[in-house]
Amino acid sequence: MSNGAKVNQSNIKAQYLTFDLAGEMYGVEILRVQEIRGWETVRDIPNTPDYIKGALNLRGEIVPIIDLRIRFAMDNVEYTPVTVVIVLCVETEKGPSVMGIVADAVSDVLDINLSEIKDKPNLGAKIDTCFMRGMYVTKDNMIMLMDVDKLLDPEQFEGIAGILS
Amino acid sequence: MKVNMPVTDKEVIMKDGTILVTRTNLKGVITYANDAFVEISGFALNELVGKNHNMVRHPDMPSIAFQDLWETVQASKPWTAPVKNRTKTGDYYWVEANVTPVYKNGSVVEYLSVRYAPSREQVDAADKLYRELNNTKPTTIRPTGLAKLTKNIKEMSINKKALIATILFLIPNVCSMIESYQTQDMIHLGGVAFLSLIAVMLGYSILSGLLKTITSSQSIFKEIADEQFRNEIDLDRNDQIGDFYRDLYSMQVKLNADLAFSKQVGAESLRIKQALDNVNSSVMVANNNLEIIYMNNTVLETFKNAEADIKTQLPHFDSSKLLGANIDQFHKEPSKQRGMLAALTSTHKAELILGGRTLAFVANPVLDEEGDRIGIVVEWLDRTAEVKIQKEIEHLVNAVKEGDLSNRLELADKTGFFEHLSAGINELTDGIEQAFSEINSAMQYLATGNLSSKITAEYHGVYGECKNNINATIDKLAEIVGQVRESSDFINNASREIAAGNNNLSERVETQASSLEETASSMEELTSTVKNNSENAQEAKKVSTKARGLAEKGGDIVTSAVNAMAEINESSNKISAIIGVIDEIAFQTNLLALNASVEAARAGEQGRGFSVVATEVRNLAQRSAAAAQESKALIQTSIQKVRTGTEFVNETGSALNEIVTGVQHVGDIISEIAAASIEQSQGIEQVNQAVSQMDEITQQNAALAEEASAASVSMSDQSETMTSLLAFFQTAETSGIKRAAIVPAAAIRSSVESQPVSSSPKPSVRTESARVVASNEEDSEWGEF
Repeated sequence: MSNGAKVNQSNIKAQYLTFDLAGEMYGVEILRVQEIRGWETVRDIPNTPDYIKGALNLRGEIVPIIDLRIRFAMDNVEYTPVTVVIVLCVETEKGPSVMGIVADAVSDVLDINLSEIKDKPNLGAKIDTCFMRGMYVTKDNMIMLMDVDKLLDPEQFEGIAGILS
Repeated sequence: MKVNMPVTDKEVIMKDGTILVTRTNLKGVITYANDAFVEISGFALNELVGKNHNMVRHPDMPSIAFQDLWETVQASKPWTAPVKNRTKTGDYYWVEANVTPVYKNGSVVEYLSVRYAPSREQVDAADKLYRELNNTKPTTIRPTGLAKLTKNIKEMSINKKALIATILFLIPNVCSMIESYQTQDMIHLGGVAFLSLIAVMLGYSILSGLLKTITSSQSIFKEIADEQFRNEIDLDRNDQIGDFYRDLYSMQVKLNADLAFSKQVGAESLRIKQALDNVNSSVMVANNNLEIIYMNNTVLETFKNAEADIKTQLPHFDSSKLLGANIDQFHKEPSKQRGMLAALTSTHKAELILGGRTLAFVANPVLDEEGDRIGIVVEWLDRTAEVKIQKEIEHLVNAVKEGDLSNRLELADKTGFFEHLSAGINELTDGIEQAFSEINSAMQYLATGNLSSKITAEYHGVYGECKNNINATIDKLAEIVGQVRESSDFINNASREIAAGNNNLSERVETQASSLEETASSMEELTSTVKNNSENAQEAKKVSTKARGLAEKGGDIVTSAVNAMAEINESSNKISAIIGVIDEIAFQTNLLALNASVEAARAGEQGRGFSVVATEVRNLAQRSAAAAQESKALIQTSIQKVRTGTEFVNETGSALNEIVTGVQHVGDIISEIAAASIEQSQGIEQVNQAVSQMDEITQQNAALAEEASAASVSMSDQSETMTSLLAFFQTAETSGIKRAAIVPAAAIRSSVESQPVSSSPKPSVRTESARVVASNEEDSEWGEF
């Protein structure tokens, strides 16, 4: 398999879980992934932004669920049988917390050589690209690698802190 | 002594109250006899007047009686006695005759005889006396001897009687006086003398008064007899003499009044007589014996004028001797006339033709107050001239009646009324002749068609009306002729136009006929087409029924297919569900594998192997997922296709249903078409009949058009003839104006005849199928159709 070849060509390799958001591929470090679940209806949390879909009881732990599609103002937000929730461990200043993101589908687990990760494009100060780690390019796709901590920084979205605490 | 013979024993009794009056001159010649006398005497008046009165004397009368009569009357004394008279026929009648002299200016001028009807005693006594006298033949019938003396004493003058009485009265007185004188008784003497004187004087006075009275009365009577009635009479005396005078006076007055009345009556009668004398009517009066007792001047004139003519027939006729003559003399057969006139009680009119004279007369009875006829009045009219002119006028009138106006009445022999009448009639005839000749000439002009000549002379009344009417007739006729002329011109033009129009009509009718033929054949074709249609429709109906059955069967099959498809769909759905489950499982497996990968990664180097496994699991899961996806896609496709197929089948089914209903509808429509075709067929049949009728009618129309054409040509001829006839009339307008030339009708006729006109097409009943052929065969003119 091709992925295995690539792993062979780098020294430091990291595994990334790729997922599909509105037809575009994104990736997160697999070590940050706690669990992958199928989509199920979540408990709605009032007085939160739209992209916070609610909270999920994960074996006694309350996990806020964020729909990145809404967060990134994508079209075509729908929940299918292949819609999944990726439960991620987020390192915050207040310590680690667990949050879930909604993805259209889970694609693959990639072994990526860190040198092969392209920097995030500089698009000017005005555009916030902080939650991006970089881009990984395959033959077919460009995979945007997410910085989970920044992506899911509770500071970024008010209300989550309350839920988490 | 005249003796009138013969005599009969027949007595004619004089009626009581009748008075027979005659007047004679001093020689006894009759100067007058009243009607009663004339009637009873039997003589005619002219036989009596101028004759001696002794002609009526009867031989039985003693001549001494008449001698006495004459002696008496010649002594100026009245005489009265019963007298027997003889009638003309010898009969006798008794009268009480009173003869008295008539004084005129103190002297006797004539004798008046008045006779009354005597009593039978008088008649008997007289008859007896006259027989005796006839036997004894005395010389006088006056008293003689003692009788005469007695009579003389009796008739002694009053003076003498008074003287004798005085003497006789005085004798004793004188004796007494002498005696007294002798005795010297003077007183006695004186007394007697005085009384005697007084008595004598008184007696004288009485006597003289009486005598004076008698004398004056006598003179008064004479005066009265002489019709002097204004005598002075002393009415104031109170004694008997006064009474006497008063009675005398009364008598005088009464007589005066009666005489005045009689005079008046006489004057009236005279006036009437004078009037009658002088009237223009010819009046003649006859008594009951039909003797003419009166003729007025006109009748005398009339008979005098007619005398010569009458004499040719009645030779003894003498107009101067008519008075007193019998009316019979006018008649050839007097007895008939006499009988008729004797019985005349009412107006009798007749006409006599004597010697060429026409005498009309009207006889009327004259009645007295008792209603007895006392005579006959005859009115004569010499109608000779009248009859002559009547005949002339009759002749003229007949001629005029016959239309001969050339005759005129001769005026030369006419005078007075008849001249005027004749002149008037001539003028009348002239007027009629003139009027008729004018009317005639006007009518002659009219007869020759000259309407410009009129009657110009002035006429009045009926002639004027006639003239005006004739002139109006001529004017009106001229006007009418003018109008008729215009009309005839118009008719002429119109008839030509009509002829041309009729020709056109004829052609058009023929065209129409051919069109109708074509129409008829078209209708034939149409009929067969419609029949075909009908049959085809029946066929189509069968076919459609069959198609409907097939379509229904197809519908059933489609339903089965739909059911099968549904089953397939159901299976596919189940497969799809199963694949879903597989996909789910693959998904879950993938998730598990991913989680395993996560766990493996977290495990680090220790988890490497596990990671590989997880990856393999994940690959498997992904492959199964992909297979599931493919299956699912296949199944979906299958389902899709089944669904599409189902839809197709359903569509097919509904299409088949539609086909069924459509076919049914088609069947119905075809049925309707079939029915409609039958109706059409019937309708066409009717149209055919109508067309054939139209054909007949058109043929008749053609005939009529031809007739009309011929009629219009003959009308044109007629109008031309009329125009040429009207040319006969010459009115003031047309005289000299040339009539516009008229297209001769012959030209029109030739143009009409040149058209192919079928001669009297026979109205024939032909069957439709044979019609065209028949018409071709029967009428060569229709051949072009």
